[in-house]
Amino acid sequence: MDAILDILDELRPGAAFAGRTDLVDSRELDSLTIIALVAELEDVFDVVVPAVEIVPENFNSPEGIWALVCRLRAQDL
Amino acid sequence: MTSYFSPSFLAVFLPVAVLAYQAVPRRARWAVLLAASYAFFWALSGWLVVFVVASTAIVWGVGRALGAESSRRALALAEPGADRRAVRQRWQGRMRLTLAAGVVANLAILWALKYAGPLASFAASLGVSVGEPPSVGLPIGISFYTLQAVSYLVDVYRGAVVADANPARLALFLAFFPQIMEGPICRYAQTAQALWEGSPVTARGLFSGSARMLWGLAKRMVVADRLNSFVRPVFDDPAAYDGCVIAVAAVLYTLQLYCDFSGTMDLAVGMGRIFGVGLPENFRQPFFSRTAAEFWQRWHVTLGAWLKDYVFYPVSLSAPVRRLTGAARRALGGRVGPAVASGVALLAVWLANGLWHGAGTQYLLFGLYYFAVIWLGALVAPASEALCARLGVSRDGALWRGLQHARTLVVVLVGELIFRSASAAQGVELLGRAALGFRAASLADGTVLAVGMDAADFAAVAVFAALLLVVGALRERGARPLDAVWRRGPVARGALCCALLVGVVVFGAYGAGYVPVDPMYASF
Repeated sequence: MDAILDILDELRPGAAFAGRTDLVDSRELDSLTIIALVAELEDVFDVVVPAVEIVPENFNSPEGIWALVCRLRAQDL
Repeated sequence: MTSYFSPSFLAVFLPVAVLAYQAVPRRARWAVLLAASYAFFWALSGWLVVFVVASTAIVWGVGRALGAESSRRALALAEPGADRRAVRQRWQGRMRLTLAAGVVANLAILWALKYAGPLASFAASLGVSVGEPPSVGLPIGISFYTLQAVSYLVDVYRGAVVADANPARLALFLAFFPQIMEGPICRYAQTAQALWEGSPVTARGLFSGSARMLWGLAKRMVVADRLNSFVRPVFDDPAAYDGCVIAVAAVLYTLQLYCDFSGTMDLAVGMGRIFGVGLPENFRQPFFSRTAAEFWQRWHVTLGAWLKDYVFYPVSLSAPVRRLTGAARRALGGRVGPAVASGVALLAVWLANGLWHGAGTQYLLFGLYYFAVIWLGALVAPASEALCARLGVSRDGALWRGLQHARTLVVVLVGELIFRSASAAQGVELLGRAALGFRAASLADGTVLAVGMDAADFAAVAVFAALLLVVGALRERGARPLDAVWRRGPVARGALCCALLVGVVVFGAYGAGYVPVDPMYASF
């Protein structure tokens, strides 16, 4: 979970992410940032994020992003 | 009846549809909506209704095939000892073929009716003869319902929605008359079930929908129709006007397009509310944007969202672009690298956006222009943020925000000038004349007032534009004006509707001297 916050801080320096549940809805994460985030997630956690998973529910909060990573890792097993 | 603004639509067709909808039992209301939708389509496009029927049949059949394949894949995955990765890959290949067949069939109809003719003419102008395709006309809303059809198929393929076994429900989703002409572009999960349920017409829905429709009618008749007297002659014969008039025409056309398109969306959303269906919003105060990218999250929202979900992300996450992104990240870092690689997907999005509007070169240039602006914006964002931090400039300060708003407005005005031009070459020429041939004296010496709008017309537009600004600012702060009026009781509700109606009757631009603008997005 801390790794998710580190990645977000690197992509959007200065923005507050902890506890947020509106990252997509408030446009804090736009589509370009989401693609950069997906590239980091795939690199760091060795998962493949399909296009169908790029929905606001998965990216609105750091917890949602972490849950997505955990789910994708479990699917690969 | 030619559009939602026709007196026969507003005074006869819609009231009859609402009364019939409410009069029949709930389980039959979908049939009233479907009959009204096809009657509306027939009234505007005649026998071309066969194309929406064909698209519906294709989408229903392909959707069912995808659903069946998905079920068989699930069974194969559930078998003991199954190689899950191999099973997934095998079925993914089959389902992709099925999906491609459905998408290509729909796009082929769109291509044949909308693009084949203009492209044959373009080829002929270059001296290349490809044969003239038969011209049958363009069914109303084909660009809109085709995108809905494709989104439904992709959503079924992705497992986001279950394939609908009911062709009538699918037909209603694709052809619902309040949104068939100009959108909003709906997703199956957003509206199909609500359309089918046949919710009763309620007092609140009737008030909220009617007031929203009157607001849209005011935008259209007070502003868009009035501005037609200035915009149309200038763009019909731009050589007759100086750079200042062209610059003013670009500003007024932008306002006209906004009032025409968002006014039509007000009518669509309002009609939806009367029938108890929440259609998605297509505009969210676009002129409050600080960047071009943000503008496109607020202007024609459902087209932008469609392109994001069905073009940008799939292209970005395709194997070649993933490899490019990986290489760019290694070379340029985790932030700049993906921004560079995203150019591929952004180019696909903006080419699609431009060409979706038509086959003209002005639309191609329009798309490439926004691609360049938004991609460059993404590329320089990290350096810009670092520079501001070094200089101690607050990016949330009033001065910086004001500069961003002004810059975005100029970007939008340039884009709309290209968009309204007859060709890319004319767009470039008009831009040059507006920028280099601008004489401020024309604003004061009567040149602008001689085009087609007098001082009273300008005053009416200015007052309504100020009203739009105030309402937009309130909505930016989260206000919901219609909810507030509803809570104040029946007198306030009646007063608002009467005020809007009187405003349209008194200040609307109709009768001798005015030519109503054709619904602009209906031709796309």
